[in-house]
Formats: sequence, C-alpha cells, structure tokens
Amino acid sequence: MQSAIEKFLYFEARLLDERRFEDWYNLFAEDGYYWVPGAPDQTDPYNSVSIFFDDKALLKTRIMRLRHPKLHSQEPQSRTCHYVSNVEIDNNRGNGSEIFVHSVQLMTEFRLDKQTSFSGRCYHHLRTQKSSYEIISKRVNLINCDGIFETLTIPF
Amino acid sequence: MSLYDNTTLESLIKPDRVHKDYYIDPDIFELEMDRIFSRSWLIVGHESQIPKPGDFLTLTLAKQPVIMSRHRDNSVHVLFNRCTHRGAKICNKPSGNSRRFECPYHGWAFHTNGDHAGVPYPQRYSNGFITDGDFDLPRPPRMEIYRGFVFIALNENVPELSAFLGPMQRHIDNFVNLAPDGEVEACAGMFRYRFAGNWKIQLENLNDLYHPMFTHASTTGEDGTQFRRQGAEGDEAGKVKLLKENASLNMEWENQIIGGHALGHTYMERFPMDKENSGPVFSRYRNSMKDAYGDAAESNMKIHHHNSIFFPHWSIQYMTQHIRIMNPISVDCTENIIIPLKLKGAPEEMWYAALKSNNNSHSPAGMVMADDMDAWTRCQSGMQAQGNDWIVFARSIGEEKIDNNGSFTDFGTSEANARHQHKAWLSYMCGNA
Repeated sequence: MQSAIEKFLYFEARLLDERRFEDWYNLFAEDGYYWVPGAPDQTDPYNSVSIFFDDKALLKTRIMRLRHPKLHSQEPQSRTCHYVSNVEIDNNRGNGSEIFVHSVQLMTEFRLDKQTSFSGRCYHHLRTQKSSYEIISKRVNLINCDGIFETLTIPF
Repeated sequence: MSLYDNTTLESLIKPDRVHKDYYIDPDIFELEMDRIFSRSWLIVGHESQIPKPGDFLTLTLAKQPVIMSRHRDNSVHVLFNRCTHRGAKICNKPSGNSRRFECPYHGWAFHTNGDHAGVPYPQRYSNGFITDGDFDLPRPPRMEIYRGFVFIALNENVPELSAFLGPMQRHIDNFVNLAPDGEVEACAGMFRYRFAGNWKIQLENLNDLYHPMFTHASTTGEDGTQFRRQGAEGDEAGKVKLLKENASLNMEWENQIIGGHALGHTYMERFPMDKENSGPVFSRYRNSMKDAYGDAAESNMKIHHHNSIFFPHWSIQYMTQHIRIMNPISVDCTENIIIPLKLKGAPEEMWYAALKSNNNSHSPAGMVMADDMDAWTRCQSGMQAQGNDWIVFARSIGEEKIDNNGSFTDFGTSEANARHQHKAWLSYMCGNA
C-alpha cells in the first residue's frame, strides 16, 4: 500500500506542476476540502484565518480563475515544482477504505525572475476507490503560515 | 536639510495629476515618516488581540518597533521595543504572554506596563544611578483607546484623537454598533503580506471604483457577478455585480456615493446593489440587536459603508468585517496586516461566514487581494520610466461637492478620493495639517 500511496501523491504533485488544475480538482471527493491554515497548530478552520480553506465549490471557482484570460497576477505564469517526501501512513487512524497519510512537501515557484520556496507538512485523508484514491481532505501546514507573504496563486 | 521646500512639494501636486516622485523618491518617503506618520494618529491594533494580563504583541509601525501589552491591572500599554540599557529589542516574539520583559543581552527587566523592574548586580553602578534614573521603557508620547482600537501618536502635539478622526469617528461607531454586545473582537489572528509598491498606491485603490471590473475581471463568472464574497444566506446575497450579463460595464457602480472628510480621510458608501440580508440566522441576529438596542436596533444594524479609510494608514471594510493596517517599510515596499473582527453577541454562523469571506478575498492567496497586489507592484515598476513624469487623477474633476469643513462627496468611478488624499498629503508635508 505504501507504494500505491506514494504514487498517488507524486501524481497529485505532477498535476499541479503541469497546470492540470481540473484533473487535480477531480481528485477531491464531492465532500472534500483543501486547507492551508494561517496559524501554526490550528485546530479548526473557524478559530483562525486560513490562507486557503476551499470546499469543492470554492476550489472550482479558484480553478476557473486560474484559467481566466484576465488573471493578471499570473502574467507571466508561475512555474512550480512540488517535491513530496517522507511519506508515512498513519496506522493508528483510518479503516479499511479510509487512509490517513502524512508527508512533507517543498514547492518551489518561479515567476518574474524570482524563485521562492514553501515547505510544510501535508496531511492527506484519502478514500480508496476502485483503482486509486480520492481526497477527502488535504491539509498543508506551511512552516511560514503566519509569516509575511507576497501574492500566492498556485495551490501547494 | 531636506531637498524639498514647500514650493517644490507644491509643484508635485497638480489638481488633476501628481508627479511620479510622489511615489518613487526615497527622500519624499523619509520626509513622510517625519511629517505625516509622526504627526497623525497611528493604529496599533485592537485591545482584544491581548485579552489576558501579560499578553503582548509586537510590530513595527512607521519604522518604529513597538510592543502592545496588557498589564496585570488589565491596563493596555504601547511601549517602544527597546531596552533602555544598550538598545536591544527586548521582545522578539510576534505575540505571547509574559510576567515581565527581560532583555536577553544583560538581563535588565521591565514590568508589562513598561516600568523598570531592575538590573542584575546594580552595585557596580554609581549610587542612585539606577534608582534615580528614568529607565522605564520609552513610550510614544500619546496613546488612546477608542471602542477597543488602540492608537498612538509619535508627537506630543497632535490634535486630540476625536478631532483627528472628526466625522470618521462615526464610521468606527457604525462598525462596532453592528455587534449586539457593542464590541468587536480580534480572535482569529491576522493575514500579513508585502508588496513592492509605495504605501499611497494602495491608499488610492481602496475607494477606487474605476478598477474592479478590470483588475478583478478574473473573479467574474459568466453571469457578470463576482464569486460569493460574503457567506450570507440566499443565492444572490454576497455576490457583487462587476459586469452585466453581456460583459459590458455595470454602470450601477456610478450611483455609489463616495466622499471624504478633513485630513485626508475618505469613504465609500455601501454598494447600491448589495441585497439586504435575510434568513433564519439573520433573524436571530435581528432579535439579539433588538434585545441590546431596542428602538435603535434597526439603525444600528444598517451597514452604511463599504470601506472607510483613515489617512494615512488604516481602513475598515464592513463587508468582510476587517481592519487593514498599511505599514510603509520603504519608498517601494509596504506591509499589510488584515485583522478580521468578530461582532460580539452575533450568531456564530455570521462570524464563520465573515471569516470565510476574509479567507477567500483577503488572504495572500485571496482571489481579490492577489489582483490588487499585482496592479500596485506594476505601478511602482512602471513609474520608473522616463518620458512622462505625471500620474493622472482627472476623472470627474470639478464634479465633487466640497463643503466649508473640508468634506466632499461624489459618485462612482470618480477619482476625487485620491485627489482628496493628495491635498491632505500636501498639507501635512508643508506643515499646515
């Protein structure tokens, strides 16, 4: 199973790097969400601000925006590289069909002659499908979650 | 001695345009720190950010490192973050709780109200040097709290806070009175972001109705409305109409009242196309407001404004329920803090909706914020160009109604708000404000 999970996470990362945002969106379950907290050790999306806290409907809006011809903050587009590592399945949680995985991620972004990197620990809550997985939730705890940011556009 | 005498400063501001040096000259920026930011009231934050005795937060405001702390007697203090011994910053954490502040360099200690608490091994100082000397943490000359908002002034000789705010004080009241408990609370942290642009570019943007349909075009769906920014109930509530269905401009914007008051403050009234809230949660809110305010409930519940901008560096946005503190770092760098505020006593669902709205639109990944920051950064780099020294603000010039108290009103996509700020800037810079 470790190998199948790793392959899934690498695939997810590649979809973002290849700007296949619709395919990435389709990995999420209908009740799925994507969350990047704005405070370290945040326990609840409603007790502090979040950098991203998107249910599937909002995620769809975000993806549509990423495709909009007048998205000025993506002119030029960002090039990103998402690295996934330290993948561990949490054996204390989950049941036959639901799996909890944590990993670390480094996203390097290049835009307008500037290279920026973002690191954090990712928590995936996955549901087993026939031949793959769907994402019930993806949480990314950035180490600089409460730091000073410039414009962010591409999901981690 | 500054290169800028009053005649030179005046030559930068024309009725319908300003010289690019207004935004890009580092000498102007230094002069602004002295003549604007040291002569007006600056907002530090809200006292609910430090709810318990010993709580503190630190920030740099107009280049000054400060601590806002709550003492054991519950009083709120703003202190310069600087040891009175060798000048080290005594507090390095963005926020925390501490019984007292101790300098890590040589152990000089201070109470959370800034009083000097002692030095280690005092016997090597001459008799009375420590006990008779004033080694309390230095404080800004003035500090005031109004409806929980904490203000300082870096100069003793500023007008009283109420005179500085003038009619804008009512805007703070309007906002805080939306809460059934008559208080707002900063209990969800903050967003912080930075852009490579002059602080005034953002100030001119916040009440600019000419830009949304272009800058924020990518937030608009096929029906011409922006994505849902408020989590209000009902399908149409919380959607802002940027464009008509046929993608032409939605000229309803032109009906919106904008205006300003003395000392450069400006505001934008509520979007005329904003729908009134309704639904079960809102009914509960209305009931709490009636319990709290009786006959005044309906008028207190009314949202009068979209944005109120307090010159030179902060604003209230009513729709998303936040304050924005705009902090100039250098001539071409500005840092922002967005602090969402909870209406105490209102249903939790309303707060969650407001928080989501802040996440969606004003996080660094926010779908509105990213567009604006991109535009402001482009202004700063474009203005470096030779060939045209002027930045144009001529839209609807002469149409604004100006009264004798320095207030004005105008409509829609006028650039009168920016012109009003330019006049206040000149007045401060020439020492007349």
